[in-house]
Amino acid sequence: SRQQALASLASIEEPMDLIRVSLDEIVHVKMRNERELRGRLHAFDSHLNMVLGDVEETVTTLEIDEETYEEVYKATKRTVPMLFVRGDGVILVSPIGSSQAA
Amino acid sequence: MSSTRQTPSDFLKQIIHRPVVVKLNSGVDYRGVLVCLDGFMNIVLDQTEEYINGQLKAKYGIAFLRGNNVLYISAQKRKA
Repeated sequence: SRQQALASLASIEEPMDLIRVSLDEIVHVKMRNERELRGRLHAFDSHLNMVLGDVEETVTTLEIDEETYEEVYKATKRTVPMLFVRGDGVILVSPIGSSQAA
Repeated sequence: MSSTRQTPSDFLKQIIHRPVVVKLNSGVDYRGVLVCLDGFMNIVLDQTEEYINGQLKAKYGIAFLRGNNVLYISAQKRKA
């Protein structure tokens, strides 16, 4: 909830604190190559290598119809029970409870 | 207008708690209130809005941005 988010904001001194506070919470991760992940954060390190559990991965691709030249965004999803994410691909991490729309 | 010399880290200390624009190498813009940052340019923003090609695409309550992707952090000049 927003109130919990504001409470955790008060305890954050440096950026890695936000990740620490998000342990065991569900996080939204935006990655390079138009990929997004949603899962429970089990572990992380200073490289932003992470272990996520029960994670849903969304890959977004832009396809162009050969005849109509219409641009279509296609989202492909899959679920993985446990995933190691290499930190250098990470762009953004956000605890899901902190935003208004989940 | 500040006429005294300022180091980048002085600037970063001054803009905490102010609304900022963070542009990434990919061209994506994030606007929000700066909560904190570190020497790697890892950034935490509150009330974050994501703009792609000038269009608002997503909102994140609190967001952590990995420093290697950051091109710049910009703050509005404080009116006297």
